[in-house]
Amino acid sequence: MGKYVIRRIGQMVVVLFGATLILFACLFVLPGDPVGSLGGDKARDPAVVEQLRERYGLDKPLAVQYGNYVTNLVKGDLGEDYTQRRQVTEVLGPKLGNTARLAVAAIIIDVVIGVLAGLVAALFRYSFWDVLVTLLTTFAIGFPSFVIGMVLQSTFSVNLGWFPLISDGSFNSMIMPAFTLAIIDAALVARLMRGTMLEVLRADYVKTAIAKGLPRRTVLLKHVMRNSIIPVVTYIGISFGGLLGGALITEAIFNWDGMGYALVTSIQQGNNPIIVGVVTYGVAVFVVLNLLVDLLYAVLDPRIRLS
Amino acid sequence: MRGAKSAKWVVGAIVVAMAATACGGGSNDSGKGGGATFRLGITEPKSIDPINAQESEGTLVARQLFVGLYDVKDDGTLAPKLAESAKPNDAGDEWTFQIKKDTKFSNGEPVNAEAFIRGWTRVATKASASDVAYHMNGIAGYKELNGGSSDKFSGLSAEGDYTLKVKLSAPDFEFDKKTAHPAFSPMPKVAGAGDNKSFNDAPIGNGPFKMSGSWEHNKKITLVRNDDYGLTKAKLDKVELAILNPANGVTLEYKGFESGQFDWARMPVPQMPGAKKKYEPQGEWVKADVAGINYISPFNETSPMNSADARKAISYAIDRAEIAKGVFQGLQEPATALLPPNFKEVYKADVCSSCAKQDKAKAKEYAEKAGLKPGDTLDFGYNTGAGHEEWVQAVAKQVEDVLGLKVKLNGLPFKEALEKQQEKGAKGIWRQAWSADYPTADNFFAPLLSTNGINPDANGKALGDNRGRYSNPKFDELLVKARQTKDATERAKIYNEAEKLAIDEDQAVIPTWKRTQYRLVNTKKFTNVKIDFYEDPNLAEIGVK
Repeated sequence: MGKYVIRRIGQMVVVLFGATLILFACLFVLPGDPVGSLGGDKARDPAVVEQLRERYGLDKPLAVQYGNYVTNLVKGDLGEDYTQRRQVTEVLGPKLGNTARLAVAAIIIDVVIGVLAGLVAALFRYSFWDVLVTLLTTFAIGFPSFVIGMVLQSTFSVNLGWFPLISDGSFNSMIMPAFTLAIIDAALVARLMRGTMLEVLRADYVKTAIAKGLPRRTVLLKHVMRNSIIPVVTYIGISFGGLLGGALITEAIFNWDGMGYALVTSIQQGNNPIIVGVVTYGVAVFVVLNLLVDLLYAVLDPRIRLS
Repeated sequence: MRGAKSAKWVVGAIVVAMAATACGGGSNDSGKGGGATFRLGITEPKSIDPINAQESEGTLVARQLFVGLYDVKDDGTLAPKLAESAKPNDAGDEWTFQIKKDTKFSNGEPVNAEAFIRGWTRVATKASASDVAYHMNGIAGYKELNGGSSDKFSGLSAEGDYTLKVKLSAPDFEFDKKTAHPAFSPMPKVAGAGDNKSFNDAPIGNGPFKMSGSWEHNKKITLVRNDDYGLTKAKLDKVELAILNPANGVTLEYKGFESGQFDWARMPVPQMPGAKKKYEPQGEWVKADVAGINYISPFNETSPMNSADARKAISYAIDRAEIAKGVFQGLQEPATALLPPNFKEVYKADVCSSCAKQDKAKAKEYAEKAGLKPGDTLDFGYNTGAGHEEWVQAVAKQVEDVLGLKVKLNGLPFKEALEKQQEKGAKGIWRQAWSADYPTADNFFAPLLSTNGINPDANGKALGDNRGRYSNPKFDELLVKARQTKDATERAKIYNEAEKLAIDEDQAVIPTWKRTQYRLVNTKKFTNVKIDFYEDPNLAEIGVK
């Protein structure tokens, strides 16, 4: 187990460096001088362009730039951004926290609604509740998240005034973006849960357990739930990774100051240090969560031995 | 199960850590509609310190925190602020400014000639790498200071406490107007160097407002009235600037106005006609023709746009009125000059004959003279994602219909678009726009149309703003002459002559639409709210009902 974890962490490091290298190469290929222009139609003073190229090391070959970047990255220094000239770590720090809070809130809503709905639908198959869950999940999956977000916003912020329109990072202003993010995932979780539960309920060991005369509660919790939740855990793990990477559209709609917001604006501005920072972070989160999910399998299903 | 157990712990620790960050949320104090608080949304500025304040959002804040020699009225004339008098010498290459006595920065430091020298030097010095430093490049000693060979601004000197002398490297009788730009603000000693981060985020100034706390990046900036302000004090107690993301900012401003959370808002273009219908009768709809221009820039050096006749053919073929009515729903007006109407002293309508109205016969006549044949290709470039698609297509269609040319539309993201325009062999026409930094005709003509404005690098890439590469020695001479002319009426005449030459005779560029701006304003609570010269609300003058 220990060896397994170490090997996986080693792989993670390789993946991370690979990702930054690809990113660097891509940004280099993109046309346009990253410090060549101001916003709007105005050209930047060539003297300033030269000063900035020197300051950010853009006058050096790509290999040297990448080498410097990696050396600084190891020291925890992501450099200085091109527009405001602030430290990237300082710019992204608060955003990281905001995105993480939003992701946690969304995943909680996601799990509670999704698992409960799936459970009810599976246990009371073909009942009114089952049909309702099927219908609602179809709708939820069918709507794009920006439609859901905008409808929630104009209903609850503009018309009813229950939640702030402009997020200020408070708990209150987190509720709507969290719901927007959670709805589609919750629907998928519900369907997944329902499907796997129905399968497990038909399994021989469940029939055996019931035949042994175990109480229904025990059968459901110990045998059915535990076995049907494995695919759900995988799914949630992956989706949590995605959420932690920042939600581009939802953050923009609700003005949530997170990683998605940072990525969108930095791409518009050609602010390469921020882009590299956000994407490197996104890759790191994804890789770490994948590892955690794999480890969780071992906990949930003792038959799986990691080696 | 040892491994499984440790895995549990890892996961547990992460969940706890994340829950902890979840609890760290800020307090929620929104929703209180305080007495005289003016609320609006902006996007994250690059800088609010005059050291690098440049776009509308940044200069809005910088101009509340600092006051310099002059401000600009919305008709483009100067409003004296700290300047009691400004006298150029007869040659026009030395200016003497008398500064209003006994005003102070909000930390008590005096605002004297030294404070101005300190501020200007801080902007122009090499280490600051400031994007707005070039506004000072007419001052003697700029090259040395900006190039790093000196740390003194040799053109600036103080005589006594309140007299500022400015030596220029070439005559300029309109230098006083340039000083309205926030880069020319005075600075207290506490400002330190340009990269003083704590000052950058909470500048201490001498303006009508001061910071309440620091700039909360991507969240908000709060200003409160500066009760020690040395000039007419503001009436608002407080200004709250919510920072919105650029991807959705305009929509949020509009929604925020509708739900009563903002007192000033822009609108998404498709929503404008509806908003006008709703808010104009209530007096909450404000319009201004501001100091900018939308135009089409032909590449003057390369075929097919290398003759005035070819450029006139295109201009005559465009039906500006039709597009203004159709695509813009009457919210944009055709332009017939390059200068904006709010430059009262120099503006003349109908400078550009080919702009007056579509004339198919003349268009064809000029096309024939220029050798433009039906079926020829015309490249038409524009930057995508900024709402230009519709009118660009309309123009292309008109040019195709009238002249039979094949218009090749080439939409590119902003940075790539810029790169393409700068290329040596760029050909065809390109969409362009310009906004003034200060109210001088020179601020349009020198960067956009003078030979110096091309500024090619070693590979012939045009680094300046004259990307159409128009070059006419006669025009250049007129600009120099205008700068050397003391009398404002005489000077205006020279500028008119220059504009006539470049825009009418040579058709160096093709003006299309004026820059017209609209805002929604809460007139139920506030009085005298206007769009100022910089397209911002006139915060220092707003009254409270």
